[in-house]
Amino acid sequence: MTGQQVATVKEQLDWNKAKAIVAGVDVGAATSKTVILVDGQPYAVSHVTTRVPKEAALKAMNEALAKAGLSLEKIHYVVGTGRGRAQIPFARETISEVACGAAGAVHVWGPSVRTVLDAGAQSCKVIHCTEKGRATAFLWNDKCAAGIGRSMEVFADLVRKGVNEIGAIALQSDQFPKLSDFCAVYAQSEALDLMRSKVPPEQIIAAYHNAMAKRISILVARAGLKKDFVVIGGLAKNPGIVNGLESILKVDRLPPKPEWDPASTVALGAALFADFFYRRQQAHA
Amino acid sequence: MNKGKCLAGIDVGHVHTKAVVVREEEILGYCTEPTGFDFIAAAQTALKGASDHAGISIGELGEIVATGIFGDMIKGPPLNITQAVPDYMADAKGALFLNKNSRTVIDVGGNIHKAVLYDERGNLVDVIQNDKCADGLGIFYTNMSKAMGLSEEELSELALKSTKPLSLAIQCGLSAESDAIDLMCQGKDTADVADAVSKFVAERVADMCTYLSLTKEIVVAGGLAKSQAVINHLQSLLKRDVSVLNLPEYVGAIGVVMSHEGGK
Repeated sequence: MTGQQVATVKEQLDWNKAKAIVAGVDVGAATSKTVILVDGQPYAVSHVTTRVPKEAALKAMNEALAKAGLSLEKIHYVVGTGRGRAQIPFARETISEVACGAAGAVHVWGPSVRTVLDAGAQSCKVIHCTEKGRATAFLWNDKCAAGIGRSMEVFADLVRKGVNEIGAIALQSDQFPKLSDFCAVYAQSEALDLMRSKVPPEQIIAAYHNAMAKRISILVARAGLKKDFVVIGGLAKNPGIVNGLESILKVDRLPPKPEWDPASTVALGAALFADFFYRRQQAHA
Repeated sequence: MNKGKCLAGIDVGHVHTKAVVVREEEILGYCTEPTGFDFIAAAQTALKGASDHAGISIGELGEIVATGIFGDMIKGPPLNITQAVPDYMADAKGALFLNKNSRTVIDVGGNIHKAVLYDERGNLVDVIQNDKCADGLGIFYTNMSKAMGLSEEELSELALKSTKPLSLAIQCGLSAESDAIDLMCQGKDTADVADAVSKFVAERVADMCTYLSLTKEIVVAGGLAKSQAVINHLQSLLKRDVSVLNLPEYVGAIGVVMSHEGGK
């Protein structure tokens, strides 16, 4: 999730001979991601923490460029997306994260995907899509369900665990007390108060994950769930949340792809749009 | 030099555990630790820190008393805590000790905030605590400063430089956080967003205070009292002068010592 600066690159592709080098930039509430495509293939990926959105967009792009050994002039087309997409000065187009999430998810998991849950730091949305990755409908979280992703980080700090370890800790308990599952403010406060009732720490962590998974599952159920189901966004990497969702919704998500970080899926979708726009522009030139 | 005995007070809050070492009404040392799951461990570490700061060993402490939301949970062994006092009573005693003319203390902590009214001897007159929707103001403030890449001090300093007033929804911290992120994504100046974050906290505290008639002098305690930006907004919302206590986050820990035989 946040806090880490990552950039990866696929060495076997050679951009020197490429016809289309494009990028998608996803400026999210907590992290900004860039995916560079070389002739339609993911080439470089970067993640940076979002503070000031404009600076984060530039930083995410520069990290990916540096890793790829490219410069911004070599990128033929950039599409921006995410909450801060209006703050990307070098983006030719901006597209909603809903359309990008669907496009990215179908590219990664294939044409059988029909429902995409994008569970990020600040917002959760459920997207229905076609086999070609076109979003057909979506449901955005209501305000009371905002910030679940970031609340996991706050919670991890409060219980003095790492944000990347609490999900696995949550899996250790089958039984746990029930917390408010409507409001993260309530759930957090109740979890803190539980500490005095001598409930083991793992159970409190499990209880909090279950409350948040319940909150997200209400959104998924309301939107309607058509298989296949995938989860993208930073929370896709939290096994406590994902297992909770799967058991509440009685559905299995398609397993994560070993080489793909689900948090970069929306940026990938933006890059796919950039690729499409660039090719169309070349065809008309 | 070794006149009276040393007393220690420990305030186990939702988020932080604070310890102080006091002798003859003189504060010799203090220390803060995150609370986490293990209250005893947090209390032990904070106590060790405060003793080290005071330059004495834990063995030299006469008595140890506790307060805070989890204060009663650390009573008895292994710390041999003799007494646990409710947090609002400790707040009153602590605030009065730190400012003899004070009659109201507004304590803005990590998870809860409250206002306590007391008489010239520190006896409780009235008390109010936030409603549940306003829980976690301190946690919210810490979280926002992290999200904006600032320390809590920097957030306050930056907020004081704000030129354009912005506002966040006066609801819960979740809505406010969502609004703040939106403002950042609209390219608003970080200083103006920092100011809005500080104003939101002050608004929630001022809202709570409307249910009481605050008697002067009004003092502010708790970790958030260290944010001058919050204090400025609170002052203008309450239309009253407020002053910040010295060592504001230790008011409970100091107060529990003072409520124990007057700290002597």
